[in-house]
Amino acid sequence: MKIVGVTACPTGIAHTYMAQESLEKECRKRGYEVKIETQGSIGIENELEQNEIDAADLVILGISISIEGEERFENKPIYNANVGECVSNPAKVVNEALKLVQ
Amino acid sequence: MEKIKNELKTLQKALMTGVSYMMPLVVAGGILMAFSLMGGTPTATGMKITIPFLNNLNIISKAGFAMMVPVLGGYIAYSIAGRPGLAPGFILGFLANNPIGDTAIKSGFLGALLMGILAGYFVKWMKSWKVPNSLKAIMPILIIPMISTFVLGMFYIYVVAGPVVSLSTALIGFLTNLSKQNIIIFAIVLGLICEIDMGGPITKTVTIFTIAMMAEGMFAANGMYRAAVGVPPLAIMLSTMLFRDRWTDGDRTASKSAGIMGFMGITEGAIPFVVNDLKHILPSTMIGCAVATVIAALGGVTSPVPHGSFITLPVVTNPLWFVVAIVAGSLVGAILMGITRPKLTTETKLEQSKE
Repeated sequence: MKIVGVTACPTGIAHTYMAQESLEKECRKRGYEVKIETQGSIGIENELEQNEIDAADLVILGISISIEGEERFENKPIYNANVGECVSNPAKVVNEALKLVQ
Repeated sequence: MEKIKNELKTLQKALMTGVSYMMPLVVAGGILMAFSLMGGTPTATGMKITIPFLNNLNIISKAGFAMMVPVLGGYIAYSIAGRPGLAPGFILGFLANNPIGDTAIKSGFLGALLMGILAGYFVKWMKSWKVPNSLKAIMPILIIPMISTFVLGMFYIYVVAGPVVSLSTALIGFLTNLSKQNIIIFAIVLGLICEIDMGGPITKTVTIFTIAMMAEGMFAANGMYRAAVGVPPLAIMLSTMLFRDRWTDGDRTASKSAGIMGFMGITEGAIPFVVNDLKHILPSTMIGCAVATVIAALGGVTSPVPHGSFITLPVVTNPLWFVVAIVAGSLVGAILMGITRPKLTTETKLEQSKE
């Protein structure tokens, strides 16, 4: 299972990165390949390459604001989560997201 | 029902996006302005900054403030309609922040918020047009920006700005009449409305009114009003410090700069918070402002300068009452916000304990 995603919160200084960390941790724990891009107030970091997106089975968007480049994920199964949920309950987010591809 | 819920979500996301892009501009403009005002002397025409360097700093900070409103409009539209929303959103936000007509009333951030939302949906709708392939290429660079800006710009001037101007004229008449009646009732009304839009058309109208009163030698209305201008951002800062379970750490950090702006009489510092949580914060700041105006009225505070908050302390009469008015107003506002805002969810708390 390959998962990519983006996290972004309104202030863009803390929750964005905590959400990234907890999603990556959760996915690694399950042995999935994972890469989460962050769109904080500093701009895009850990940017997803198009080939990484193409190779992914699933996209998780943990965002509470509009993000840049959402069109990159067209034709992919996208799970929309809330930033706060990604931080506090990544297991639930990943479980829900997996339902999209099962 | 589901559809309305989704639409509300889109709208909320749009406002958050707008605020998130606007925030650094508010801070940059506001803090630089606060610095520049330190070198200012309150005069009858406003704060006069005599040191050239600080005066230049003031010019820069004003540029920052002038940009923040269009950025809000632009990114609200961007969030709803994607990239093609930016141009009309910026232009209409700029329009909303510029004086229209003889009375030179601008609708400020509320106008930009409205126009940003309208621009977003208008462009989104235009994007759904079925156009021949030959036109497809010029839709985003020519047709969408031109038509959306034209239609909504005219809509703003003829439909939105007109009523704003008549409302403002009516409000001045109303306040003038009321000021001749009971001073406490007048103070309450003045306090409730004077910062209802944080430097927008209503605030501007109150300013015009108090300056007109000053021209007739009456300085009390201005004294009350000037005690209230710093209250909204100061109340927000106090509230984030007093009610730790109602505000996130991010709020606490961001509110520091709002507090500095409040101290310097720059109400705009409160705007990002108000946009985020209108229904809890605005009533609290309105009541806080009313507390400030009533105390200022009781204490016989008068001010001869069209600027407010602590920075004008040297020129107000009864300065002690002026201080009491600001502090009490801010405290009341802070407590009301603290009580009415929902507690942070356990999710958010968890996030914070990890920080």
